[in-house]
Amino acid sequence: MNPATLIPTADALTIHWGWFQFLLMFTFPLHLFAMNAMLGTALTAFICHLRPERCYQELSHELAKVLPFFMAFTINLGVAPLLFVNVLYGHLLYTSTIMMGLFWLAVIPILIIAYYLAYIYDFKFNKLDNLAKFAILFVLLLLMTVGFLFSNNMTMMLSPASWLRWFAEPGGTLLNLADPALLPRYLHMMIGSLAVGGLCVALYSSTVLKHDTGVAEAGTRLGMQLFTLLTGMQILMGALFLLTLPGEVMKRFIGDNALATGLLTVGILLAVTSLVTSYRRNITATLCLVIPLIYVMAFIRDSVRVGYLEPYFDMAAVPVNVQWSPLVFFLVILVLGLAVIAWMLSRLRGVKKVG
Amino acid sequence: MNYPVWYVPAFGGGLLIALVAIVHVFVSHFAVGGGLYLVMTERKAIREQDQSIMAFVKKHTKFFMLLTMVFGGLTGVAIWFVISIINPAATSLLIHTFVFGWAAEWVFFLVEIVALFVYFYTFGRMDDRTHQIIGWIYFAAAWISLFLITGIIDFMLNPGEWVTNNNFWSGFFTPTFWPSIFFRSFMSFMLAGCYGFLTASFLDNEETRRKMVRYSGKWVLVSLVLSVPAGWWYLAILPDKARSLAEGMSPTITRAATVGEFSLVTLAAAAITLMLLNSKSLTKVLTVVVMIAAMGYLGAFEWTREADRRPYVVNGYMYSDGILERDVERIDQEGYLKNAKWVQYKVVTEANQLDVGKELFQHQCFACHTVGGFNNDIIVRTKNMSYDAMRKYLATIHEKRYFMPPFIGNETELKALAAYLVAGLNKKALIEGAPAAGNRGKSLFDDNCAPCHGADILKPKIVGWSKEKIRTALDKLSALNPAMPDYNAPAADKDAVSGYLHGLNNQESTSPVKEQGAELFEENCTACHGFDVVKSKMSGWPRVKIRTTLDKLSALNPAMPDYNGSAAEKDALADYIVKQTGGAK
Repeated sequence: MNPATLIPTADALTIHWGWFQFLLMFTFPLHLFAMNAMLGTALTAFICHLRPERCYQELSHELAKVLPFFMAFTINLGVAPLLFVNVLYGHLLYTSTIMMGLFWLAVIPILIIAYYLAYIYDFKFNKLDNLAKFAILFVLLLLMTVGFLFSNNMTMMLSPASWLRWFAEPGGTLLNLADPALLPRYLHMMIGSLAVGGLCVALYSSTVLKHDTGVAEAGTRLGMQLFTLLTGMQILMGALFLLTLPGEVMKRFIGDNALATGLLTVGILLAVTSLVTSYRRNITATLCLVIPLIYVMAFIRDSVRVGYLEPYFDMAAVPVNVQWSPLVFFLVILVLGLAVIAWMLSRLRGVKKVG
Repeated sequence: MNYPVWYVPAFGGGLLIALVAIVHVFVSHFAVGGGLYLVMTERKAIREQDQSIMAFVKKHTKFFMLLTMVFGGLTGVAIWFVISIINPAATSLLIHTFVFGWAAEWVFFLVEIVALFVYFYTFGRMDDRTHQIIGWIYFAAAWISLFLITGIIDFMLNPGEWVTNNNFWSGFFTPTFWPSIFFRSFMSFMLAGCYGFLTASFLDNEETRRKMVRYSGKWVLVSLVLSVPAGWWYLAILPDKARSLAEGMSPTITRAATVGEFSLVTLAAAAITLMLLNSKSLTKVLTVVVMIAAMGYLGAFEWTREADRRPYVVNGYMYSDGILERDVERIDQEGYLKNAKWVQYKVVTEANQLDVGKELFQHQCFACHTVGGFNNDIIVRTKNMSYDAMRKYLATIHEKRYFMPPFIGNETELKALAAYLVAGLNKKALIEGAPAAGNRGKSLFDDNCAPCHGADILKPKIVGWSKEKIRTALDKLSALNPAMPDYNAPAADKDAVSGYLHGLNNQESTSPVKEQGAELFEENCTACHGFDVVKSKMSGWPRVKIRTTLDKLSALNPAMPDYNGSAAEKDALADYIVKQTGGAK
């Protein structure tokens, strides 16, 4: 059976696909920022528990307080790109989702447990005492499991050849483990996230926590160390990921496709430069490099997807029945919503400090 | 057809959707009404300068945040995940049609999160006016979220003019939109009161507890009373077919309605009792009763809404199995297998018949039926049907039972599905061409007339008509009613139908149907229940009681359609039942 015949027919779009692509590429990195901060906070908090000094204990407590915020925004900011991926690639995504249905549904209880555990870690930090480190480690592992399941779905949807397995196993128990690029891709994503998460911790410590110099210094040092170490590993893992990609996809990044090659080059340059700035503990400069780096990485990821799907799916062939007014409605709501959020945050300035 | 199926035979997806949806709405509606409850209760505390109420609001806000933001938010995502697995075609349609409605809802979700964080973490640290404004912003964002989601959900029940113009706004503002908004808003305020009971029941201070229980009780009772006319409005504005289902044609909706009515009364009674009594232990017990009853009420509504659009997932547009109504005729002609992507076989052969039948079952039936599972088990539903009866039933399944989608495919595919159900699942022999049922006229009537009007509708209209008059009318039906198509069939068929119709009002002229009880039972009853059900119900009944019951089956069970067989057929059926159950002659 030719796997291409299994690809479901895509539904018509309501505006040109470029709009959805723009919205996807705009919102996905926002999710990544929040997700990186969430994972980095959890990892740093766990490491703090392994160090006996007071400043690390204080730091873990401070990180416990912000973790639920990062979780809330990671989930919320994940909804938008998932929505736009549904629009652009829904017919592929639903197929792989059905194939791994049982695992995909498990994402929800895993997230609920992790989320509540993060709140327990925050609200009951002192009561947990020695259990705290296990609680935060468990949260971290749960969240990384969710990442692994996402990596499976996002790669299986690109690989119709692997879909034939459904006929023998239709119970939603399939993963994409046979794909040699899966593990490097997942680790590339996780290591990169934890590295940027370390940078977020450093930024948070050096700004919000600066009133306690000991804690601020511990957080900044640990965060930047994590960033440097993990970014170094990340460059190696990125190379491995590139090598495990299917030949045609890999070639896009080594000359076959100018844009993809250019993106990879810029990405490597930004990553290497950020290693230098982070080694020098320059948080602002590192941040200025990492923000565009995440956008570049998101575009590289998209280019990998396009490479995988080239033999199977042409976005331009999807019919379009144009309706502008819903888009205008959304954009107006987005602007108004952001304005209201900005107003609410501005009101925080006058808030009295706690005890 | 377009997608694979998540196939776990004993576990049906429909039940999973219902469970996740009911749990989610029980929290998400609280997330809306609770927002108003928080801000109004805070205002009450400020106006009355009552610190105990303010402490209650703060405590309630923490509970509210932990429940709605974590559990409510993630179960909302869960619904999305579940429907994309269980019904990917419908999910894709909803996403593509309403992408910017969803996207706008995402913005309000973001506003809700920020507002709730600010509201909770600045309690007592921000000036009252600004804090109240933040609370109002939260409520407004949450209610607009409900507004947006309601538009999309109601689209499925009644897509209105969207079916012809595909316009976003036509699909959003459908006729059922406004009653739905009112009903859901009242539900959310009602739930706010119920959850208010919950937090209040944990208060140690007796006076504050009493005050907050009474305050919350007003929210419950006023909203509950207002929800009833809103629900009635909702029901009144449903499309005809959907209203018929809601009014008793669908057994599952009848059950849900019973649960809803019982829950409504229990909820009101428990809330009033709570307001009148003030025992801490009793408050907790009654609060549990209130919460269960509230879930029952809301759950019954959601269940009814989901079941009421059957056999469609988008009413009048897409069937529950993901097939578009406009494609049915073409697929029937070309064959299902030819059009389906996720099937192994493209042609039915003698050797693969059962395998093809299984594939057809997965794609066309599994959306609602399990195999050996708890919910809607297909084996139980079909165990009393022969191969012949099954084929006949599948061919007219949608006409016989409106809420079932039609079988979509050609004749050989229909046979393959029937073979799988009869031989593959029920392990019965496939005997083709078994003796035809005694009442051929009825059979022809069911095939040709029942799609528009059942015999029960026709029976009073032809009282006093001679057989010849009926026979003549059958030759030119459009003369009777211009909307009715002529019945183009051989004269022998028309004779049979006229005989059957005449028999509806004339016992003496019915065709000989003695000794046909078993056949009549299989033809008319087994689609819904086997003989075991009849046996347990009617065991020991005298014949006269059974015969009388057959005249008015809906009196026995409102979900059961009346049996429109002739008196002689009912006699034959009664004889058969009495013989099998050992009742007194």
